[in-house]
Amino acid sequence: MADWKTMINRGGPNTKLLEYVVMAVTVALVVVFSLTVDGFATLGNAGVILSNSASLVILSCGMAVVIISRGLDLSLIAVMVAGATTFSVFINADYPASMAFLVTLAAMALVGLANAWLIAYVEIPAMLATLASAMLVTGLFRFTILRGEFMLLLSKSSPAVVFLSGNIMPGLSTPVALMLVTLAATMLLLRAMSAGRTIYAMGDNFQAARLSGLPVRTTTIVVYVFAAFTALCAGLVSSAASGAVDFRTVTNGTLLFEVILVVVLGGIPLRGGRGSVRNIIVGVALIAVLRNGMTLMNFTSQMQDLLKGLVLIIAIVADNYLNPRDTETDTVGDL
Amino acid sequence: MLHTLNSKMKTAIGGALVGAFALLAPATQASADADLTGKKVIFVPITMGISLTEGWARRMREHAETSGYTVDIRDAAFNTGAMAELLAKAISDKPDVIVVHNPTVQLLARQIKQAEAEGIKVLQLNLQSNQPSSAFVGANWDRIGREIAEDIVKECGEGSGKSGKVAIIPGQLTAADSVMMNAAAMKVFEGHKIEVVSNQASDWEPEKARQITATVLQQHPDLCAIFGHWDVHTMGAGNAVKDAGLADNVMVYATGGGDDVACKAVEDKVLDRVWSYDADGQGRDAGTMIDLLLQGAVTADGSMLSVESPMKIIKAGDSYDASLCWKM
Repeated sequence: MADWKTMINRGGPNTKLLEYVVMAVTVALVVVFSLTVDGFATLGNAGVILSNSASLVILSCGMAVVIISRGLDLSLIAVMVAGATTFSVFINADYPASMAFLVTLAAMALVGLANAWLIAYVEIPAMLATLASAMLVTGLFRFTILRGEFMLLLSKSSPAVVFLSGNIMPGLSTPVALMLVTLAATMLLLRAMSAGRTIYAMGDNFQAARLSGLPVRTTTIVVYVFAAFTALCAGLVSSAASGAVDFRTVTNGTLLFEVILVVVLGGIPLRGGRGSVRNIIVGVALIAVLRNGMTLMNFTSQMQDLLKGLVLIIAIVADNYLNPRDTETDTVGDL
Repeated sequence: MLHTLNSKMKTAIGGALVGAFALLAPATQASADADLTGKKVIFVPITMGISLTEGWARRMREHAETSGYTVDIRDAAFNTGAMAELLAKAISDKPDVIVVHNPTVQLLARQIKQAEAEGIKVLQLNLQSNQPSSAFVGANWDRIGREIAEDIVKECGEGSGKSGKVAIIPGQLTAADSVMMNAAAMKVFEGHKIEVVSNQASDWEPEKARQITATVLQQHPDLCAIFGHWDVHTMGAGNAVKDAGLADNVMVYATGGGDDVACKAVEDKVLDRVWSYDADGQGRDAGTMIDLLLQGAVTADGSMLSVESPMKIIKAGDSYDASLCWKM
């Protein structure tokens, strides 16, 4: 059995096999939808797939970096909505967009810092620390900034909203441009910065990374602050597009589920140490094509959730089979 | 099976009682001051923090202050599990009246029956359960679904020169309002060559409604109308229409509580027509109904007291009237 896997991987890591499977399924879906679903294979629909995926890609960049470092950020969606809320409140009160953005950026950096401090210095497991901070952030921002309201509506006539939901140049919308910038920043962080090498080392073997003197604590700060920034960016994109900031995005949990789904499907193992921007693109491509095709086929949202859940289970089982845990990677408290 | 109020008589009796109470308000309230002092009302909404429930609560509290009883709010914050627990706790507190806002037709049915059996009067507000209780105040969803569908037939059906294609965006397919509006609209569409090209729930979220609409518009650029079941999530759909540059071709219909945000959306051309059930007026009707229940009002045959909310239709264009909306 190991022979065919080795043959396909040609000596590379086994994660690539899952990536190839997902890519093959995506291509197969594109072919099937193109032949059977009216309106799928058009340039306009490709544009819709791209713009509808922008915030998912941006969030997945943050989550991927966290997971590669063997962490998990369950507060990502809470930070996204909290960031969008703070920015929108300033915009609705006619403050300059630049000032609103800087204040929001600082606030979200603080949330990222708090997450990192709990994980790196207090040494609480990432899942528990970010679960608690998600609840705290949701409650705090909803009650202090929105005064208990669940939703904040944005005027589409506001210049900041027009900019964030419009075109930055002909043929390139701001959400898609921000998505490309986030992908580039993620690649830069992981590939060209020393923090990136530490992130991979932490994911590969955290204790070894720490014992060899790598700055694991400060890198944890970089990881969670970066994740908070991507969450803010995604929040600005999605709230400007829909004209609303909605705290139910946090409470119903489906978006967080989709972000984790994208990362796992793309071939980034939950125990970390591996993965790149390419994996994020592969994961998002499958989910975006699947979602778009199911919407065009008029599937109910329950049926869509069911199919996505099925895809996640298959991916996790495949991941477990292709990347079996060994004594080195299977540690206490690991996901 | 869904409980429907077939008897117009019940509605008429309820309406007449509320009307009579309103007319005789000064005298009745003067005597009610002593009678209702110390009575206890518990309101269990799907969530607070939205204009609909905040608007209701404001008017109910005003009535309570005038008449000397208390209104205690137990916020379920969109958590149906918590809502069932909060209602169980409310029943154990033995108030005089419980006001419930049913998320689905089934969820609270057993508890409503239990409360009534224990002598607690239950007022169902805007969204009905399968289980009848002492009273109902709210919109007639069947009527709203039918009226919007008839308007869509006029704008998009035969002779209009349009495609006849319609996308429906319910909140949740099992919510009472969506069940009734969908059934009523489909009945109208059947005989008028209207094609429903999409009927996908948004889970009440504007962003989901926007994504569904952006996708459907690509497949059907000749879409004639969108029928959103709640103005708030339909604004996401309206923004997708606007961003696609199709605001002049696609009519966006919605229903809602009719606060000033709905009027702003009509002014901004995000929504075209809103069937408002006037949450502010509903709050006042609910307050009046609570006063009546606390004074022992019942129908002659013991059936459900019912008040149907009058509709306000907010339309873009020359007939647009901002005064149709209320402000918190």
